[in-house]
Amino acid sequence: MIAFLRNRTGGLSVPIALGFLTLVVLAAVFGPALGLLDPYQIDAANLLSSPTAQHWLGTDELGRDLLSRAVYGARVSLTVAAAAVLLAGLLGVTVGVGVAFLGRRAEAAAIRVVDVFVSLPEIFVALVVLAFIGGNLPTLVATIGILYAPQFARVTWGVARGIRAREHVLAASSLGAGNGWIIWHEVLPNMRSIIAVQASFTFSFAMLLEAGLSFLGLGVRPPVPSWGQMVGSLKDYLFTNPWPVLVPALALFFTVLAVNVLGDWLQDVLNPELQQ
Amino acid sequence: MLPFLVRRLLSAIVTLALATGVVFIAIHLLPGDPVAIMLGDQAGSDPVAVARVRAQLGLDLPLGTQFTHWAGALAHGDLGVSLRTGEPVVDELMRRIPRSLELIGAGLLVAVLFGVPLGVIAARARGRLAGLAASVLAVAGFSAPVFVLGILLVLVFSLGLGWLPSSGFVPFADDPVQHCLSLVLPALTIGLNFMGVIARMTRASLADVMGRDYVKLARAKGLPRGKAIFRHALPNALVPVIAIVGIRAGNLLGGTVIIEALFDWPGLSSLLVSAAFSRDYPVIQGALLAIFAIFILISLVIDLAQGLVDPRIRRPSA
Repeated sequence: MIAFLRNRTGGLSVPIALGFLTLVVLAAVFGPALGLLDPYQIDAANLLSSPTAQHWLGTDELGRDLLSRAVYGARVSLTVAAAAVLLAGLLGVTVGVGVAFLGRRAEAAAIRVVDVFVSLPEIFVALVVLAFIGGNLPTLVATIGILYAPQFARVTWGVARGIRAREHVLAASSLGAGNGWIIWHEVLPNMRSIIAVQASFTFSFAMLLEAGLSFLGLGVRPPVPSWGQMVGSLKDYLFTNPWPVLVPALALFFTVLAVNVLGDWLQDVLNPELQQ
Repeated sequence: MLPFLVRRLLSAIVTLALATGVVFIAIHLLPGDPVAIMLGDQAGSDPVAVARVRAQLGLDLPLGTQFTHWAGALAHGDLGVSLRTGEPVVDELMRRIPRSLELIGAGLLVAVLFGVPLGVIAARARGRLAGLAASVLAVAGFSAPVFVLGILLVLVFSLGLGWLPSSGFVPFADDPVQHCLSLVLPALTIGLNFMGVIARMTRASLADVMGRDYVKLARAKGLPRGKAIFRHALPNALVPVIAIVGIRAGNLLGGTVIIEALFDWPGLSSLLVSAAFSRDYPVIQGALLAIFAIFILISLVIDLAQGLVDPRIRRPSA
């Protein structure tokens, strides 16, 4: 297993990333069952503390336990990212594959619109939308999911077009197979690996976008923790005690790093011909 | 070259117009009334007062009419006045655009200065420790959320070494030295984050070019490896690197949102954030327009740079 995971450039980085990510996901899923301290319990005697016997990872500016807040924060960060990727994938693949089966003119026009949205920096649109509507889980997921859908559309459109032009698909088409049949039996099964790779990259983008928005105070509302929001409020106490802000900051950093390492590996394994 | 330039410029204008139209419609369709926020809790709950102010600001007109008015004024260089301060939006933008450009320019400089050498090391020392270290550094820079990177830099250079201010902005005219010092950490943060993108592209592209016949020939006729890389391979390998700067210009600009908040840098992004919180429509529209314009300007410059470096790109078919 380890030997299989070892890739050409990364050495042991893939198994380490996989192990770390598994740990984070398990902590997030079973968080409430771990017997952690209450993440909302204020402890006025221990503000902004470094690790102690009682608070293993220290406390925040209200004396709340950072270990349990980091675990509960993981739930928010991972849920938003996963749900946003799912939404972006569903929307993007539908549009991307659909566009490939439009007529020529419509295809060119549609892809031009998609291109405009792919190139726009997502965070500017997202922050305006969230400042207006207010941050909560569904709004975050919808906003991030919609903003990353065009990238899925762009990628799947290219692949779908290629598959549609293959000889056996043309043959099926001339034998009377409808577009629906071709999409279901030929196009979608052949782009599973492309979708998987795109999903892994989008997952890390979505995590970073959610963290950035929450950092600005536009994500889930306090006291519910998310990693980005914890960094945003703890950064003001950097000069009092630099330890607490490092907990959510490094949790976020290592998780995104692990996702990117796995994404690269997935890319190498599934689409070796697509070396950039 | 000229038709290429005209074609790119036209397509840039179309993109900008499309983006502006979408933004205008979207922010007016989103819930939330700026007038109620402007007037505060008490007056904001009085429907007569709200209606009067709405009429004064032209917010009661149909959306299409509002857009025509706005676009018409824009053609005369007028972006309206801020609902909050009453100050012309254009004045505020003119103050902030240079600050944002300065931040992006300095960040890009850092990214290239660190990213290209890192990419060369990663490609040359493939499979050895130096190559692995360079690759890891590149992925780390690219995976680190900008605020994490920024906080780590503040910890080291402000809190630890005390060399640089942790945040704040000093106008260049007031104190040039302090101005440059306050620019260092924000620019390093943007640059080190973007460095990963440039290093990865340099490595991949250089590895590809090193396998081409003309580099093999240069090596075969006895040119040392270093010379083959720097004289023959690297200049050609940099074409996709220039391209990736254009493709990822969005990341570069998007990063400034966090950086400006973290370092109290009063640029366009922080203007947009504060305007969005108070639903200051004219300022939001103006700031987004300026940000999109900068974004399109970067892509345009990149395209032109590529066209200059690589004549094949200038042809319409390419």
